[in-house]
Amino acid sequence: MEINPYVPMPVKVDKIITEVTSKDIKTFRLTFINKEDEERFDYLPGQFAELSIFGKGESPIGIASSPTDKGYVEFTVQKAGVVTSELHSLEEGALIGVRGPLGNSWPLDYLKGKNLVLVGGGFAFTTIRSLIRYALDEENRSRFEKITVVYGAREPGLLLYKEELALWEKRDDIEMYVTVDKGDADWKGREGFVPAVCKEVAPSSENAVALICGPPIMIRFTLPEFFNLGFSKENIYTSLEMRMKCGIGKCGRCNVGNKYVCKDGPVFSLAELDKLTPEY
Amino acid sequence: METKLIKKELLPGIVRGLAEDTLVYAPVQEEDNIMFRVLEKDMEPILEFANTKNAPKNFFFPQAETMMRFLKKERGAELLEVPIAAREAVLFGVRPCDARSFVLLDYVFDDPKYRDPYYVERRAKTTIVSIACVRPPYSTCFCTSVGGHPMSKEGADLSLVDMGDTWLAEAVTEKGEKLLQNMGDLPGADEAAVTRKNEMAEKAAEVVKADVPASTIKPWLDENFDHDFWNKIHIGCLACGTCTYLCPTCHCFDITDEMKKEEGRRARSWDSCMYWLFTQETSGHNPRPTQKERWRQRFMHKFKYFVDNFGAVACVGCGRCVRYCPVNIDIRKIAQDISKL
Repeated sequence: MEINPYVPMPVKVDKIITEVTSKDIKTFRLTFINKEDEERFDYLPGQFAELSIFGKGESPIGIASSPTDKGYVEFTVQKAGVVTSELHSLEEGALIGVRGPLGNSWPLDYLKGKNLVLVGGGFAFTTIRSLIRYALDEENRSRFEKITVVYGAREPGLLLYKEELALWEKRDDIEMYVTVDKGDADWKGREGFVPAVCKEVAPSSENAVALICGPPIMIRFTLPEFFNLGFSKENIYTSLEMRMKCGIGKCGRCNVGNKYVCKDGPVFSLAELDKLTPEY
Repeated sequence: METKLIKKELLPGIVRGLAEDTLVYAPVQEEDNIMFRVLEKDMEPILEFANTKNAPKNFFFPQAETMMRFLKKERGAELLEVPIAAREAVLFGVRPCDARSFVLLDYVFDDPKYRDPYYVERRAKTTIVSIACVRPPYSTCFCTSVGGHPMSKEGADLSLVDMGDTWLAEAVTEKGEKLLQNMGDLPGADEAAVTRKNEMAEKAAEVVKADVPASTIKPWLDENFDHDFWNKIHIGCLACGTCTYLCPTCHCFDITDEMKKEEGRRARSWDSCMYWLFTQETSGHNPRPTQKERWRQRFMHKFKYFVDNFGAVACVGCGRCVRYCPVNIDIRKIAQDISKL
């Protein structure tokens, strides 16, 4: 029988991690109830899925885990609306639904053999985390050249994936620049805004692709730094968000020009975005 | 494909006969309006009418429908039912513009990557009978400007043409041919009848006077998203959404969950790009913050984005949005004004 793209796959909330001191961002580790669903949920970094809670609705969320993480899938969710608030009230063991994977992904084929510059700001780091986990996997690491990460949050308590960041800092096959706008008494790391850190780090544009995800204000000030470094619009990618319902290009609300963010995106290069209308 | 003749006085009986063992939707008089309704035993199908008030899209894409039912449990919810199965049906008396709308909706709902099972199932089970516009009914008709024709058979399975004292019934698809066979022993149409029909078609097209530059404005639309022209077209718009609800090709929808005690359903219902909430995000940001952006979206979707994606204008020229807009915004005039820029 043909698969109904609107019916969510049942999953169990296996683990909940509160990521930040403000407690409004949690990571949900989900495991599939049916083995065949797990196989069907064959995704790539940069894709998203609709998290579904019957009685409340659905919410489109980027996938935070990597396809190399077997047996589960993770989503880092900020508490904001009806569905995400309900998600935040759940306890481990709860049963919910997942519909996906949806959308395109980070341009993995294009990234092959390239230096990767991964820039994340605040909560928008989740699908970049997916790519980092993917790229650092033993079988994949050799497919990419140098990996440079600039990741910033407003304050130390708002950094996601802290333990993981510490592990990555210790590795020699990834260069980490974690920064906060303003540190606290315990903070021993870098202080400064993401655009300033990018300028200081000055990653070479030679054979490099930059993936930039963050709040609009961060993106606005970070882009000029990358243009100054010689990155072309073809070599800068970002991921868009829009209000969505169906996730499969039919309900009509998430289009930017003739493209649907859900189906043709969410990942676009700046060169591609230039061809679309500035309506997002 | 077969072409038959049906005596005028026989057709209502034939349609009522079909309704005995199949679901038949046909135009009926309802208060001041002609509406598509399920034809019940004591109901008379109307065969001479201008057009129905509502577009027939709701037979495949209902204004509201249940996508799935579920039952709340202690730790989550159990999926009870996904109601997709549809009955065999005949959609009788669709005007050619509206029949064409199904071809356009198919691009969206029957997309090979993500097939919409609810739409596709009903569409597959339904035979569409169109009634050609020998005399195009409205001054607001503009099917000929958007790739249609008052006697087009596109989207229909069986096409009926009013020849005076008989209906010329032309099977367009296998489904239509099967239905024609079920209508009983009918005489075949001779060469003369077919020739006369072709002459009528030419005359009918001449009656549609409106000349809307629906496809020639595309290059302008490609280049002028930010043009000052867009600052004015929405003025007066009440954001009532009538244009989108009556439009045979508008397909936007919402998905919502409803609960009644422990039982609930996930429902799909029509939505409209004319509403601010359509794109309002949880953060408070709205990519289409005013009616200007929403109107530009509606126009661009029909005359640019749909063309980019599917190679066809998403308008069949039925004129409903023009006739029923409470503030007389006229999509034909917008296109004409653009062509003069």
